[in-house]
Amino acid sequence: MNKNYNFAFLDEGSKREIRRASLKAVAIPGYQVPFGSRELPIGRGWGTGGIQLTLSLIGPDDVLKVIDQGSDESVNAVNIKKFVGLCADVKTTTDTREATLIQTRHRIPEIPMTNDQILVLQIPIPEPLRVVEASEEATKRMHAEKDYAPIWLELYESLVKYKRIAIATEYPCMVEERHVMNPGPIPKFDNPKLHDAECLCLFGAGREKKIYAVPPHTKVVSLAFDDVPFERESFAGKRCRLCGSAHTYLDETFDALTGEKVYQCSDTSYCKEARGQCV
Amino acid sequence: MISTLSKKHSFDMVFDSQKVYRLILEAMSNPGRIVNIKKYADKLFGDNPAFLAAAMTLLDNETSFNACENGRFSDEIASLTLAKRETLEDADFIFACDFGDIKSAIQNAKRGTLSDPHKSATIAIQNDGTPSLRLTLAGPGIDGRVTLDATQTVKCALDLRDAQKHEYPQGVDLLFISSAGELAAVPRLVREVR
Repeated sequence: MNKNYNFAFLDEGSKREIRRASLKAVAIPGYQVPFGSRELPIGRGWGTGGIQLTLSLIGPDDVLKVIDQGSDESVNAVNIKKFVGLCADVKTTTDTREATLIQTRHRIPEIPMTNDQILVLQIPIPEPLRVVEASEEATKRMHAEKDYAPIWLELYESLVKYKRIAIATEYPCMVEERHVMNPGPIPKFDNPKLHDAECLCLFGAGREKKIYAVPPHTKVVSLAFDDVPFERESFAGKRCRLCGSAHTYLDETFDALTGEKVYQCSDTSYCKEARGQCV
Repeated sequence: MISTLSKKHSFDMVFDSQKVYRLILEAMSNPGRIVNIKKYADKLFGDNPAFLAAAMTLLDNETSFNACENGRFSDEIASLTLAKRETLEDADFIFACDFGDIKSAIQNAKRGTLSDPHKSATIAIQNDGTPSLRLTLAGPGIDGRVTLDATQTVKCALDLRDAQKHEYPQGVDLLFISSAGELAAVPRLVREVR
């Protein structure tokens, strides 16, 4: 651990502000609480919101797991783990069950999380209404007035144009029948995992300076029409080429030699565990 | 003089704050669950060490507070956290140390606005006494319903808050803290089921 920095890098005043914002976020599920995002030794937009939340949450007894696109071994995940390890000296893991704190970019783990775990999501664009309204002042007013007509119209236009709602990630959802929330760049496959989850989910957007939360057992409903229900990505007839799983989110890869499309689990930790059980 | 000097707080602003924060976060995320901060409160002196532990975890010079006429406790918070004293109407945190303080605290606390609901107060309420009531709570953080063995103080505070009829997302969040360090939270969306 680098003793030249405070424990978990941030100064205590910064941590306290982020902690206060996270408590307000938990009290108002889905509402974006503004906070004074701090400078970190990585650029904004590379997970600084999630890192600031993790640094404010973490203590010596925690076990940290970091995933990026479902992988424990990608550049973003490895470097965030190294950084937190350098300044907080906590144990890290790739095992979802062992972790007390999981920071993630783009996925929610396949293994259901428990009530004593916290999921921290890195969020690039927290505002679900940004696609329909550029002004922050206007979107704040829309949330205040629960004026969500433009986002419904956006979904309807997509339906008319493509015969389906063509939003793959950042699929908007309604939290506790009050706030429309951006679940982050997770595939819509993962949206249902937020509903009535066992664990606390905290969302941090460092560049946009917002924190929001979904506490355990909170109503999170992906937006859909009565006659056009919400649909996740379908992997019908496809299996992971490594572990054979047919119910996980699969990445499509392409074999340049044979021209064959192959699929494998996006969650590498889950896939490894499933393979271990097969042996 | 020597005895005065030896009574030094040993609450660690880095590690004990982190522990207390995680316990408060657990209580806020799971309303009705009782967590215990006694281990950390015992490192502080004064009349309300459990309150002080929560204050040292959450307050600093960027926040304001009101300790409801409890001058000594107010002085302790101000000197230890550098938070600003404020009226009930404008305070970010309100500490109601006596049963008699609860009514004015809840009636006057700021509730935020529809566009900025986070600009609302968190009220910490002293909750001593024997639990004589069983309250059923429901809302986010609760799997269906949860039963809380509550004192008259909790019941009174929840009734007073309900009577305010805050339009969500406006509202106030309640922390109930006992002298024994037991802490429970009831955020604004969590209601008693009658």
